[in-house]
Amino acid sequence: MRLPLLFAAALASAAGYAQSTCETATPVSAGLHVVDTIQGQLPMPVCAQNGNGETNAGEWYTYTAADNHTITITSSLPQNEGRDTRVHIYTGTCDELFCLAGDDDAGEVYLSITVFVVLEGQTVYIAWDNRWDSNGFDWGLIEAPYIAPAVSFVATSIEGVGSKLGVVDMNGDYLDDVVAVSNVTGNIFINYQTAEGTLNPVSVGNEAATFYPSWSMTAGDLDNNGYNDLMFGGGSGVSFMFANADGTGFTELSGSEYVFSQRGNMVDIDNDGILDAFMCHDVEPNVYYMSDGNGGLTFFQGGIGDVENGGNYGSVWIDYDLDGDIDLFLAKCRGGNSSAKINELHRNNGDGTFTNVAPELGLNDPLQTWSSAWGDYDNDGDLDVFIGASTFSDGVHKMLENNGDGTFVDISLSTGLTEISGTGIENICRDFDNDGYLDILGLGGRLMMNNGDWSFTEQDIQFGNGPVGDLNDDGFLDVVNQQVYMNQGNDNNYLVISTQGTMSNSNGVGAMVYVYTPTHNLMRQVISGDGFRYMSSLNVHFGLGEEAQIDSVYVVWPSGLTDTYVDVQSNTHFTAVEGAQPTAVSDRKGPEFLIYPNPTRDLIFIDTPQTYSTATYRLFDVSGRLVAEGRLVSNTINVSDVKSGVYVLSVNFDGLTSERKFVKQ
Amino acid sequence: MTRNVLLGLFVAILCSCGSDDDAIPPVTPPVDTVSPVVFDLTEVPYGKLSDYLFFEGSIADQNPSLGVLPYDVITPLFSDYSKKKRFLWMPDSVKASYNGDHDILQFQDGTVMLKTFYYDNVQPANTRRNIETRMEFMRDGVWEFAEYVWNEDQTEAFLDLSGSFTPVSWMDEQGEIQNVNWRIPAQAECHTCHKVGDNSIPIGPKPQNINKMYNYSDGVKNQLEKWVAMGYLEAGYPTNIITVADYADPDADIEERVRAYLDMNCAHCHRQGSHCDYRPVRFAYSETVDPNNLGICVEPDQQFDPSLTHIITPGNVNRSMLHFRMNTNEEDKRMPLLGRTIIHQEGVQLITDYINSLEGPC
Repeated sequence: MRLPLLFAAALASAAGYAQSTCETATPVSAGLHVVDTIQGQLPMPVCAQNGNGETNAGEWYTYTAADNHTITITSSLPQNEGRDTRVHIYTGTCDELFCLAGDDDAGEVYLSITVFVVLEGQTVYIAWDNRWDSNGFDWGLIEAPYIAPAVSFVATSIEGVGSKLGVVDMNGDYLDDVVAVSNVTGNIFINYQTAEGTLNPVSVGNEAATFYPSWSMTAGDLDNNGYNDLMFGGGSGVSFMFANADGTGFTELSGSEYVFSQRGNMVDIDNDGILDAFMCHDVEPNVYYMSDGNGGLTFFQGGIGDVENGGNYGSVWIDYDLDGDIDLFLAKCRGGNSSAKINELHRNNGDGTFTNVAPELGLNDPLQTWSSAWGDYDNDGDLDVFIGASTFSDGVHKMLENNGDGTFVDISLSTGLTEISGTGIENICRDFDNDGYLDILGLGGRLMMNNGDWSFTEQDIQFGNGPVGDLNDDGFLDVVNQQVYMNQGNDNNYLVISTQGTMSNSNGVGAMVYVYTPTHNLMRQVISGDGFRYMSSLNVHFGLGEEAQIDSVYVVWPSGLTDTYVDVQSNTHFTAVEGAQPTAVSDRKGPEFLIYPNPTRDLIFIDTPQTYSTATYRLFDVSGRLVAEGRLVSNTINVSDVKSGVYVLSVNFDGLTSERKFVKQ
Repeated sequence: MTRNVLLGLFVAILCSCGSDDDAIPPVTPPVDTVSPVVFDLTEVPYGKLSDYLFFEGSIADQNPSLGVLPYDVITPLFSDYSKKKRFLWMPDSVKASYNGDHDILQFQDGTVMLKTFYYDNVQPANTRRNIETRMEFMRDGVWEFAEYVWNEDQTEAFLDLSGSFTPVSWMDEQGEIQNVNWRIPAQAECHTCHKVGDNSIPIGPKPQNINKMYNYSDGVKNQLEKWVAMGYLEAGYPTNIITVADYADPDADIEERVRAYLDMNCAHCHRQGSHCDYRPVRFAYSETVDPNNLGICVEPDQQFDPSLTHIITPGNVNRSMLHFRMNTNEEDKRMPLLGRTIIHQEGVQLITDYINSLEGPC
């Protein structure tokens, strides 16, 4: 058959203009669809960041939901075996598209599956690109009843070049900012969070530091000038970037010492009220820098993890035994039959020395790990630990429950976490859905939601690990992984507390913050430097679940001072200043209790008519000096080490304090 | 501390039988010549490289003294395009023995290995610059490290095991100016690569790496044979040594070239008993006969980019972690972790060609 020339030309022309674009996206409904060849408009922005393949074309579809639906888009179909696809899902208009979801490889081999929610009447765009090749394939759209996720995140782009390593306040307003450092120029780029919840991008324009933070970045106020300084962990040494008097620029201080940096932390090691800096050394004993509070640092090596060949990867400073001073857990890793891989827990002896108590506590594990996540996962008033395997060659993921007295029981198997096949170097715990229970972000970039009963449920996320904080001050934690993944929140309540030390270090690092509500007793410790690489917020964050009432907030500072707040509203963010609300007997009193025997030689037994969930005690001598503190276990306190004399025993029952005098013989 | 070079005569005889196209006339040293090298195990390491008398004439020229034997490896470690000179010296009546094709020779106390790193055409005057001379020696059965850093005048190198940086700018063989901030390692850096378990070891001197011809001042000879002739190696080692390929030899089998390259550049950390043996790959030449050990279709433990689905994805470098790690300079991602700050283009090309030669899917 011969086509009239004109008609053939029209067909060719039509074929030429049949380019798939957002504007000309093909409407689809549930069912199977066919991509012939990927040759249309390149999808932007990229919602499934992945890989280095050259990408220059896409094929566009649009879907409008008739009802609330959970939608699955999949190319993971038998007929696509051997194919490699990538898909992006957008909301918005073609002039301004926003990533809703996206996937490269969640399906079989390199095929794609992505699941998202579309509400009644909402339109989304579905765009496949040619990241890997331009050949055609089939794909399906499946509608399922809508199930609200515990929490969801929406990606938004963020200005500035460099690796976005930190989400932490940099201008003294206690709102988290995003800190990036360029590995080309060394320039620091900060997105400052404004009071309106937007981000204000500023290039600092500093000179490059001697050592780039290839391995980790840590923040804290080392010189007590009110602005957080930065510690860069490089492969051959450590650089400190001291914030100037108004926080707008930095002055570098770098040591000449060889340090193969890994995780760094800022912590007041000698508890003199000035933050110091600690750095894991990969191949030597750990190093630390004692700050004089005026921009001077003194280098030390030895005394806190001294295995000759190092193996120190993930350090985190926590008070595992609740004795009021801060201890150090070292997640360790090393090949070969080397002692450098054995994890260590360094108990602070309170006199500037540390003792590795991992062997006696059963934490001397050969598990190859780069980080651990310490927190009160079961809200029983002590710090438990998840230790994430970076490979399964010497053991699997571990969850250890603190018995309340600084001993641990291995509950890994019952948590189901040992079933997770993912491994990685980042492991942190935060409450992402504000239900009052700490979730885990780790195990190879997975979000494991804590069900509150020592079980966890994985929730699909698009981003993996990165620094965590609250970038719009809405009380829900956001994650940065080059883009900002903004937590969309839910109906749960929250409380965010910033800590400002006066006698203690100005960040209040090491402070233990307790929030007491009618339904939960929650505790968080202020940590500078957890996980492996990133610097997450110094603000402590509490999800409260459905509970809107807060009975009291109790802050135990590294100095030993305590503050008790009794008029705190939920769904707020406030700054607790050390000494502003000193805990007093006149604050709402706790239950009356009896102690016996009195006088005593070794043990004190406590008898209270009321039940309580958690209780901590503090022992003062007649001059008011803190002699001992800890968590009350079995209503018994051992005072055999205390000198003879008269003492005041102050017991905090679920946030309410009562006192008794006794005599030690 | 003295070595009678009685074997010199035999060497000359053997050479005159073996090779007739040798342009360098054999030099027969006097029968009673002794090595001038000074090496007191109770005193070393000395403060200056010149203290040992390893070299004749200007020390910068690196002309070995009698008894100091230059050697080479078939496929070298890539070190930011620097050049290297390697030397071996042993005290009197000390010699190594064969311990397997793929294992380090069994050395004895007093054995010294030297490696000088240098660049040619260093700017601005297109001169040679010796950067550092690394030394490994055995004392009480234990390998120890010393590190000598050359001064600007190139008149001396001084003991310094604290680690430092020095910028080097040179013109490469294509006439391009290249720059590197050269890392002179600290002691712990030496040990990071040079160890099995917690014990220090050398890396290069395995029969598989040194079983090659070398152009000595007195003629071309197989290195192992020469070592025997020098009294540095027990005679009687096997004649059928399984030897690595030269990674740069375009006529060699590509898998052999890759296995040789991975052995020398990666296996110090990725072999059984090494720094990173908790990762699934095993890159020693004797281990890469198994494709699993090469990482073919093996998932990486650490997925910082989920597109890199396997350590090697056949036919797809964009999905191969090995290629990504070799093709980046980012300090926390590049491989090898130490000793490289710029990309080895020829090495990346080799791995690219190899991955593309493999057929998938996994």
